[in-house]
Amino acid sequence: MDVEQVVRAAQRGDPEAMDALVRALLPYVGRICGAIAMDKGDDAVQETMIAVLRNLGALRQPEAVRGWVRRIAVREAMRQATAEPILSDQATLDFTPARLIDLDGAIDVRATLARLPPAQRAILVLRDMDGLAEAEVAALLNMPEGTAKSRLHRARKAFAGRWNE
Amino acid sequence: MNPEEWPTASLGPVARAKVLASAWPSAAWVEGVLDAPYRAVWSWISDLEHSIPQFDTTVTRVRVRSRRPAPGEPGVDLVSLTATAFALPLPFDVRLEDGFCLMRGAARLYLVIMAAEPHSDGARTHFCHVEAVPLPGTTFVRRYLRRETRSDLDNLTRLAKNGFPG
Repeated sequence: MDVEQVVRAAQRGDPEAMDALVRALLPYVGRICGAIAMDKGDDAVQETMIAVLRNLGALRQPEAVRGWVRRIAVREAMRQATAEPILSDQATLDFTPARLIDLDGAIDVRATLARLPPAQRAILVLRDMDGLAEAEVAALLNMPEGTAKSRLHRARKAFAGRWNE
Repeated sequence: MNPEEWPTASLGPVARAKVLASAWPSAAWVEGVLDAPYRAVWSWISDLEHSIPQFDTTVTRVRVRSRRPAPGEPGVDLVSLTATAFALPLPFDVRLEDGFCLMRGAARLYLVIMAAEPHSDGARTHFCHVEAVPLPGTTFVRRYLRRETRSDLDNLTRLAKNGFPG
């Protein structure tokens, strides 16, 4: 059964389908919440899944479930993350997107991400982990595309700066 | 950057049980800490024929009709069983995995979840028990289910403290 069929069964109230949907979404939701909310990622996952199941009836197009869940996960992860102290996002080093992609496995991504503000983590996650276009990132975070683009640039520079410290 | 390097968050068995409970207005859930190590607790609970009648006083007998591995899901068993409660034989389909047990009654009339994971102290077990009637308009049964789940947890707590019967 693919995820769209699982969504339809869960919308009909099938408990096993609801559990199957949670299991199917967990890897994706876990990556978004882990990268944005960091140590509060598990709480963000739980709140995301609760919101997903409670509002599943409002999802009219089961094929759009990934984008719908992404929006909920980002919102819940940001909510959990904003309790963290906000660090400066001033970048100190030049940086190119290709370099971010080429980082090897020895880099402690987690420690580096943890030093960025939640909003910058969210932009990096959506653009560089999830592969969304800048316009999609902007729509998801309720900001003009130009703003998303400049913030993405700053986030990448900040990531590189912290990584090189 | 390899996507596998990004930090990931998870959903443990107890949190998963609470997530599912949140979806059903009638659901009652309780959680507590059992005074026994996780492995001992789950090994005892997952012997459903033996364990359920000892902590659920409304169930007099459980008979497993079949048990088979879930296709493509290592460590997951699909169990069909009959639980006798109030002299009525009630069929259940069960998904049983390490730390998580989802029991769905016939025609989805009744739902039971048991979830467990090691407590942070390593010596005890965090346990969550959910019961629900996952049908519209059944919110009124929550008070009864709350009493039932609390009674089950109290019995489990006592059994864990005194040593699970063999």
